[in-house]
Amino acid sequence: MSDSALTLHAIDKRFGAVQALSSASLEVRRGTLHAVLGENGAGKSTLMRIAFGMMRANGGTIAIGGAPTALTSSADAIARGLGMVHQHFTLVPAMTAAENIALGGHGLLNIRHVAARVQQLSEHTGLAVDPHARVDTLGVGAQQRVEILKALYSDAHTLILDEPTAVLTPRESDELFAWLRRFVASGGTAVLVTHKLQEAVAAADDVTVLRRGRCVHTSRAADVGIAVLVRAVTGDDASAPASAVTRAAGARGALVARLHGVSARDARGVERIRDASVECFAGEIIGLAGVEGSGVHELLRLLAGRLTPSAGTVNVPTAIGFVPEDRLRDAVIEEFTLTENVALRDAAGRTGRMHWSVLDVQTAGIMQRHDVRAPSPVARVGELSGGNQQKFVVGRELDKHPSLVVAENPVRGLDIRATEHVLRELVASAGAGAAVVVYSADIDELLPIAHRMLVVFAGRVHEVRVDRAAVASALVGAP
Amino acid sequence: MSIDAAEFLQASVRTATPLALAAYGELVVERAGVINLGLEGAMIAGSFGALVGAGVGGVGAGFAVAVGAGCATAAVMALVVLWLRADAVIAGTAVTLLSLGLTGTLYRALYGVQGAALSVPTIAPVAVPGLSLLPLVGRAFFEQPAVTYALYILGALLWWWISRTHAGLALRATGERPAAALAAGLSPVRVRAWALVFGGAMGGLAGGVLVLAQVGTFAEGMSAGRGFIAIAIVVLGRWTPVGVTGAALLFGAASQVQYVFQSLGWPVPYQLFLALPYVLTLLVLAGTQRRAAAPAALGAPLAEEAR
Repeated sequence: MSDSALTLHAIDKRFGAVQALSSASLEVRRGTLHAVLGENGAGKSTLMRIAFGMMRANGGTIAIGGAPTALTSSADAIARGLGMVHQHFTLVPAMTAAENIALGGHGLLNIRHVAARVQQLSEHTGLAVDPHARVDTLGVGAQQRVEILKALYSDAHTLILDEPTAVLTPRESDELFAWLRRFVASGGTAVLVTHKLQEAVAAADDVTVLRRGRCVHTSRAADVGIAVLVRAVTGDDASAPASAVTRAAGARGALVARLHGVSARDARGVERIRDASVECFAGEIIGLAGVEGSGVHELLRLLAGRLTPSAGTVNVPTAIGFVPEDRLRDAVIEEFTLTENVALRDAAGRTGRMHWSVLDVQTAGIMQRHDVRAPSPVARVGELSGGNQQKFVVGRELDKHPSLVVAENPVRGLDIRATEHVLRELVASAGAGAAVVVYSADIDELLPIAHRMLVVFAGRVHEVRVDRAAVASALVGAP
Repeated sequence: MSIDAAEFLQASVRTATPLALAAYGELVVERAGVINLGLEGAMIAGSFGALVGAGVGGVGAGFAVAVGAGCATAAVMALVVLWLRADAVIAGTAVTLLSLGLTGTLYRALYGVQGAALSVPTIAPVAVPGLSLLPLVGRAFFEQPAVTYALYILGALLWWWISRTHAGLALRATGERPAAALAAGLSPVRVRAWALVFGGAMGGLAGGVLVLAQVGTFAEGMSAGRGFIAIAIVVLGRWTPVGVTGAALLFGAASQVQYVFQSLGWPVPYQLFLALPYVLTLLVLAGTQRRAAAPAALGAPLAEEAR
């Protein structure tokens, strides 16, 4: 038995002309939690997809449990005891947890046997899951537990988790880490891919940092400080953690938007917001927190004027900048150019011919003022990195100085630099006199910039102190 | 003049047989997430294959060549849609048009322009002892060609396979969310390819039934839109074997309504009733806006990451 659960040695990977990984190596010791850190585009996900057989490397070797292996598909990796929990869950929403877990097996399918085994595994591991529940009725945390059980069901001894806390509430993250510690203590091995440095250092045994496709740092987590890791991740001293962006101490201005006694239903007719009253003032940033299903998304859409209330009054200005959570679904069209996406904004209100040259100039202005790094205004949005796409979305919304800005998880999945940039933009927008409402799944991103904190719990809006403990307890409905 | 209800039912089941066979094939294809508009092409290829095969080696060879011809159209479809990544709607339409044209041309080349008198052996109805004596439904369901009985077994087998095997689960997952199938170590491309081949085989068999169990000859374009009706049947049957069986029977009955009205002596042009199955198809497709039962990834090509 080798001491190494998973060894990736000198992995090269090219996508066309882009060198995604150059001679990247990673050694994961058996029975440890190993954090892999890096900015977006550093090659973390690519390296993990290669380790899991979903992608083939152009060079380098892989060994599982000390034995060199050539993986041709994820089925190979699964057969050798690897399991992967993907960032975007790979579950079938219309199927039950048990059916999802059985997927990939052979022969006859006795779903009752599968469910019984899942139940057993669930009790044994402490990962609470109802095997008969349809996945689309489960919350994100429960879906993640299904993904983990799916890996353990096929006897995985090494789990790869890609950004597992990106979608979790603080409490769910704590539970996941507590579980991972128990898992490695009982002999399992876990690889944690993340861009959250604090959680990596707190939970992991070992850390490896990837930057631009190379491994630039490997050490025991206990031996390294956050500052060293930040330098390793960003490659310079210029960028401090995102918390460097803080709120301006400006005075509160005039009332910009007001919800009074508002209730609202979601698309399925379920009441999501009950009797909410919110006032937004110029120059003020309101931080908004709430778990999935709390009604926080409906509240944001009420403020953005995109949802009609079932009761109460909504007074919002006409000039609203709205940054939705899923930019590729709700904000831009990947296949369109930057200019075309700028033209799409408020397209419903315009008629007649398009003035493309004017729009090109406007787009170039947005790129310049908001640091959008794209070859030209006529580049397709899909060609941009995630960070630049988001800077473009934010820039497009803020460029005309709307009096109300509503941003939903605006830094989700962004690296340190892009996160800092977007938060600075929001702070600057408030400084210029806009009322700003920001929701984030990560309350640590909100606390430094928010003047006030609102927490949505079970459809009701509560104002709490701008304080981590106060927000965290309100999130779970604690008094 | 009275309507013979038993005779009406028997004719309905006979008409429904090829529709149900083709629809079972399309059911599997759609559960894998592909819409195969080439089904009509598979049927006409099956009909022509049946003519050629039966002329050479009798009924058995006729069915074998029919299935093979259906598979061939599906192989073209799979190649173009899954590997060359063409749009499935356009590819399916092209396969159907190509197949209609090719069978017509080959028919004229091989059998001459006046080949109408050409006839092939057909399989006769076999009465199931006992069951065929049941009142009303006996003759309808149990005095049919053997292929209809095969259909009953196939329907049950299909239900069992989809819900009780891992392969069936893989099929459903591919139609719902190919990325999930891939992450579980399956190949969505392979699943869709096999589903298409099965669909083509069933379409070919259905075309063979038209020639070898019903008409006894081939005519250009004799599939007459049944492939498209089979697609509508899958929608009406909510993508389940039980539902599809019921929907096929409904369409079979709709095709027979003209005879009822003729025997009643109503002065309505029979062409109106000939059009009934097609009108029903349009109504079904227009009336099923709620796609809740449809596979979530139906009609969605495989993304680069999910191949």
